[in-house]
Amino acid sequence: MRPLLELARDKLKRRKVIAVMSGKGGVGKSVVASLLALSIRGSALIDLDLSGMSIPKLFGVSGKLHEVGREGVEPIVVGGLKLFSLGGIVGDRYVVLPGYGQAGAVEALIAFAKLGDADTVIVDMPPGMGEELLALGRIASYVPVVVTTPSKASYKVVKQLVDYLIEVGRKPRAFILNMAYVECGGARIYPFGRGDEARRLGENVGARVYEIPIDPSLEDYVGRLHEYRGPVAEAVRDVARGL
Amino acid sequence: MHEWSLALSLVQTLDRWALEHGVEIKRVVLSVPSPAQLDVSVLNEAFDALKRESRLERAKLEVKVRSPRYRCRACGYEFGQEEVDPQIRRIAGEYGEEYPLHLIPELLPTFVKCPKCGSHDIEAELSIKIEEVETT
Repeated sequence: MRPLLELARDKLKRRKVIAVMSGKGGVGKSVVASLLALSIRGSALIDLDLSGMSIPKLFGVSGKLHEVGREGVEPIVVGGLKLFSLGGIVGDRYVVLPGYGQAGAVEALIAFAKLGDADTVIVDMPPGMGEELLALGRIASYVPVVVTTPSKASYKVVKQLVDYLIEVGRKPRAFILNMAYVECGGARIYPFGRGDEARRLGENVGARVYEIPIDPSLEDYVGRLHEYRGPVAEAVRDVARGL
Repeated sequence: MHEWSLALSLVQTLDRWALEHGVEIKRVVLSVPSPAQLDVSVLNEAFDALKRESRLERAKLEVKVRSPRYRCRACGYEFGQEEVDPQIRRIAGEYGEEYPLHLIPELLPTFVKCPKCGSHDIEAELSIKIEEVETT
């Protein structure tokens, strides 16, 4: 028996777990996951992108370590949001792990996280379909939120993830076309096309499809994302309302 | 301090398991890898404090600290704890009380390199496991 796997399962059993994922990297999962967590009152954010660890960077807490007490790992709290990340265990250092190490890290991070009264847990998943995806599946029954861009290059990769999710009975609840358009002089410009294939994919699996705009000012908020109030946050709030 | 959270996870997990199976727990054997550098006396003290009013109330904890065998998946070199210890000491010195392998021993390949080829691609059994449970 593995006590940490059992404890991790128990910890998430009575909470709503929303996993923000995409087969593709660089589509904005971490920003979406963070803004989702900020818009769902009383939620906690767990960063399972073990090698990327974007969450501490987005909130300006890179290198800050979690305090570990008698009852587990204390969250790093930013803007009222409770964050948990492997970055808070290893500090500002690269993480390179074989599959069994990734599984152990996912289980321990969740098992020891002091989630307190958070009734919703947002999980920021890494790109790809590796051990973290399997590990989360062993631990919790999660609601997938799939993020892609309208680009055809993203579509192919994301479709494989969606096929997998359907096969394991975890139908995506929301399907996000991120970086979909730019507002310019009152008109919407779609630099990567309208994303018709991706949109159809979302609709075919019964997920609600959302478009999230590009907002160049978002870049100024990297390191203080909790202060961002622009159109991307507004669009993500709409996603949160539908979950 | 982490020994307490580990003991808590152990008591909570086994108490629930004992309740589901309608048994009391008499003895638990916990196997921990040596790179975790857990303090066995603190772990026992925490276990004894936390087991009160649970189905482990009369349980005795035995902690086995095992030295893993390591294998480099890049060059195939097999090695023992003695070749890892100097690297472990360096990490422990660097992090102090925040030593990451204390909390997650499976992180070892991030910090330790193969003594022959320098690869981080190291295989070992590093999980914390309940090896045996004796019930009444």
